[in-house]
Amino acid sequence: MPRKVTYTVGRAGGPTREITVDVHDLDVDPWGADAELRVVGTDVPRLEASQKTTGAARYTYDVNRPNMALCRLLRSPHAHATVRSVDTSRAERLRGVLGVNVLVPAGGRITFAGKGVVAVCAENEETLDDALHAIDVSYDVTGGPVTTDDGRAPGAERVDPKRDNVNAGGRRGRQERGDPQAAMAAAATKVSATFRTQVQTHSALETHGCVVEHHDDGTYTVWASTQGTNAFRGSMAQTLGVPADRVRVITEHMGGGFGAKLGAIDEWDRAAAFFARDLMRPVKAMLLRRAEHQVAGCRPDSIQELSMACDGDGKITALSGTTHGTAGNGRGGAGAANTRIYRIPNLAMEQVTVSTFTGRARAFRAPGHPQGVFALEGIVDALAIAAGIDPLEFRLRNDPHPLRQVQWRLGAERMEWDRKRREFPGTGAVRRGVCCAAAVWRQKGGGDYVVNLEIRSDGSVTVKNAVQDIGTGTRTVLAVLVAEELGIAPEQVTVRIGDTQYPAGPSSGGSTTAPSIGPAAREAGHHARLRMAELLAEDWSCKPGEVRLDGVRFAGPGGKSATWGEACSLIDKSGLSVSGQRRKNYGGFSGETAGCQFAQVAVDTETGVIRVERVVAVHDAGRIVDTLTARSQVVGGVIQGISYALHEDRQLDRNLGDMVNPTFDTYRILGIGDTPRIDCLLTTLDSGFNNAGMMGLGEPVTVPTAGAVANAVSHAIGVRMTEIPITPARVLAALGGVR
Amino acid sequence: MKAFRYVRVSGGAGDVGKLVRKGATLKAGGCDLLDRMKERIAEPADVVAFGEVQNEYLRAIAATPDGLRIGALVTLAEIAASKKVAAHSAALAEAARRAASPQVRHRATLGGNLCQHTRCGYYRIATFPCWRRGADVCPVLVDGAVQDTAGVFDNGECASAHPASLPPVLGALGARVVVRARKEREERAFEALWRQPAKGVHEDVALAPGEVIVAVVLPPLPARTNVAYEAVRQRAAFDWALASCAARVTRDGGKVKAASIWLGSVAPTPRRAVAAEKALVGKAPGAAGFAAAADAAVAGASPLPGNTYKVELVKVVVRRALERAARRER
Repeated sequence: MPRKVTYTVGRAGGPTREITVDVHDLDVDPWGADAELRVVGTDVPRLEASQKTTGAARYTYDVNRPNMALCRLLRSPHAHATVRSVDTSRAERLRGVLGVNVLVPAGGRITFAGKGVVAVCAENEETLDDALHAIDVSYDVTGGPVTTDDGRAPGAERVDPKRDNVNAGGRRGRQERGDPQAAMAAAATKVSATFRTQVQTHSALETHGCVVEHHDDGTYTVWASTQGTNAFRGSMAQTLGVPADRVRVITEHMGGGFGAKLGAIDEWDRAAAFFARDLMRPVKAMLLRRAEHQVAGCRPDSIQELSMACDGDGKITALSGTTHGTAGNGRGGAGAANTRIYRIPNLAMEQVTVSTFTGRARAFRAPGHPQGVFALEGIVDALAIAAGIDPLEFRLRNDPHPLRQVQWRLGAERMEWDRKRREFPGTGAVRRGVCCAAAVWRQKGGGDYVVNLEIRSDGSVTVKNAVQDIGTGTRTVLAVLVAEELGIAPEQVTVRIGDTQYPAGPSSGGSTTAPSIGPAAREAGHHARLRMAELLAEDWSCKPGEVRLDGVRFAGPGGKSATWGEACSLIDKSGLSVSGQRRKNYGGFSGETAGCQFAQVAVDTETGVIRVERVVAVHDAGRIVDTLTARSQVVGGVIQGISYALHEDRQLDRNLGDMVNPTFDTYRILGIGDTPRIDCLLTTLDSGFNNAGMMGLGEPVTVPTAGAVANAVSHAIGVRMTEIPITPARVLAALGGVR
Repeated sequence: MKAFRYVRVSGGAGDVGKLVRKGATLKAGGCDLLDRMKERIAEPADVVAFGEVQNEYLRAIAATPDGLRIGALVTLAEIAASKKVAAHSAALAEAARRAASPQVRHRATLGGNLCQHTRCGYYRIATFPCWRRGADVCPVLVDGAVQDTAGVFDNGECASAHPASLPPVLGALGARVVVRARKEREERAFEALWRQPAKGVHEDVALAPGEVIVAVVLPPLPARTNVAYEAVRQRAAFDWALASCAARVTRDGGKVKAASIWLGSVAPTPRRAVAAEKALVGKAPGAAGFAAAADAAVAGASPLPGNTYKVELVKVVVRRALERAARRER
């Protein structure tokens, strides 16, 4: 029977509210806003930090099995073509070539550059490379649009011959409320602008790929760089035609994914699996960097034509517009999230996806949001300035989120908003600007995941779940939660994750990992503590309820006391095993996480070169379990956001359809030399959704950065920047220096 | 990469000429060559790696009666840190320091910097057509191409931009290039090192088969002479310059007596801006003269629709280099 618990959620010191929730009879009471905790909410170094910094951590890329063969795909350099012929005979004759599979036979149609045409398996890297170069594929090249503008042009070659490239998405692509037309007509101030964003590739340092090993007993072990060990296992088992329990997926450490490694296995994984199955040898297939850029996902571009209006009090009255974008050779998925955050009573938005002959987009850290918020915050900024209202004051008047009201003020104070808005842009060749943008995200996690916890008489504590750590600190978060419950230090906890032999864990998408699995770890820790209390009660001849955890010691009646080690010595040889489960979400404090960022930039108005000098990032993610790894997430999100605002750009030749800059010297990513001082202010609170009050942080932290940077550049140079990346060429064009 | 014969020479080999067998490709740091071999843009049958040779001439930075001699195997990191280089020209040290990343600078050599090929994506990716690799037309010149980092001078048939950081400074310093040819060392004028692009020709340096760059000699600078280097990079570190300029200015009284102005990253080879030099000589070293020189530097530019901004960048780097050269005492 669930029990009713009434407690305070929100931020200690306000805003807060009281909620009453049904707590599962096996679950622990929620902490609440004013809980005083020992380890949770402190700086705890990543458990695997030394492994990662010394190179000892083993990533999928590092896995090399005895007798392992290598697999790679020959890829089409053409975006739209028909395969005329495939001749693999020369490759098959090469010594050391183990297998050749034609994926697209003669007559097959290619709809993006990078599509795998032939899969090859060979003894070693040299033979594999020779074999790929010994395959002759001839194509009838048709050509076709690879940009959103070209894709929607009248008469453009169709990606799907039966359907127009332009897909308005019907009712799902439209948002309407109120009467925006009338509101626009009645507005005191109105602005319109067209915002453009580029295609960004995920660019994780570890490329996609796996190692598949087929064992004599018909089972498989697969080391995979995946954001979902269980999803990967299901998909791999289906491909191989075996039950899922015959496939074990291991993701010990992972070199980033940002959404591109979610869900089903890929073409190259499939090729490796078939070779491994048929050859009875381990086979490794990891993408090269160029293929990673071409085929392994991207953030869709966008063209957002927006109009926004406000009344005489600076209250937003209406937003209307149309968004176009391409998510590659598919039909949908290029929507830009540009309607949330602010109170907008009258709204009319249409989201249109344009099919092009390009590699398919994939979920990318807050899908739709960095581009949508860049445009939304750009038009909000323009409207504030047109209305003669300070852009921060304008946001405060229109932002309904109680916590973001606090965050805007915190961030502004840290950035010295008033002084800098007054003193900038200054004079001379280098001008400075400062501005801001809001973050939004609404995932709180869920599921019914189980975490197993084992304690041995030597005091060792082991936590087990199949969940993978994609670099965010999942291991450490689980250790901290268990340590809090048991009165021990996080580094005393061994976390075994990233292996499907343990209970299923969530996929890491939508910032849901920590809030989906953390509460189960806390509950497991709670059960372990109760069991320890029972053992001590027996030893001390008291009731279990009389044993309490006093800091890092167990205490009982009559001054009885035991350290963790002393208590564990009571455990018998078989050890102590408990588990915790993720229970249903409670009502919560607010459905949306809040955040905002302020950016300060320096723009060389003669060269157009921009340096971001400082970012203040204010975020909530419910209760912050480990403030150190949380700040690391914020810093990473800000870096990726600046990179998106200023540099990253998948450049395709519009005639030839392939990517011209698929290397890291030409696909620019923000480096350490350009990384500014980043102040992270974490407004921790109890989210009221689960026993730990947690929410996710990975995505919201990259949502506002590009908008804040672009608005700061606009402040610096006095021209609204409506297109990212803001390159020197675009700054000079905006300043009228050229063209 | 395609299989090749590999010879690694280390120890105290005295005569570098002996290392170059007929048709062999020399590898020093390998920063550029290995990338091209992996992509099969370069498919040498023989590679001689001589980066570890303990040859004093190749490795030294030496003050000689003829000037400062820098061996071809001296790394960019060594140039950036050298007191002798700094004493001769802080601009050269600065150009070395601002190139690439710490890892690359510790591997990349002076000779390799001079010999590196264009970073044009079309040239570097084998599946793109490229005039330098034998295609009939340079695809960068066609509307719809990616043109932002392409050159804006001498781009009638090839839009490549020479990427190296050191050549503009070496040009402005009046460097002479020491080439080992026919068993003898000969010195060549810096300008004579470069050739205009030709269909099917990958290299930008005009070296005959068997010729090797073994050093660069920087002659002593005349009195009242200053040199400055300016570059525009989109990222502060680890980025190719979008445009760069090195300027040498010799003053006499209130006038510019002599000037040497070189541009980088805007043409298929490092480019001497002769018109800019002429516009400056005889004028007062001030804003008007620098502006006139900057305007003259872009005379004859032929920007593409996608990189007109680079013309503006050239003017800015020329003006800024001249301003710094006018201020700096060496």
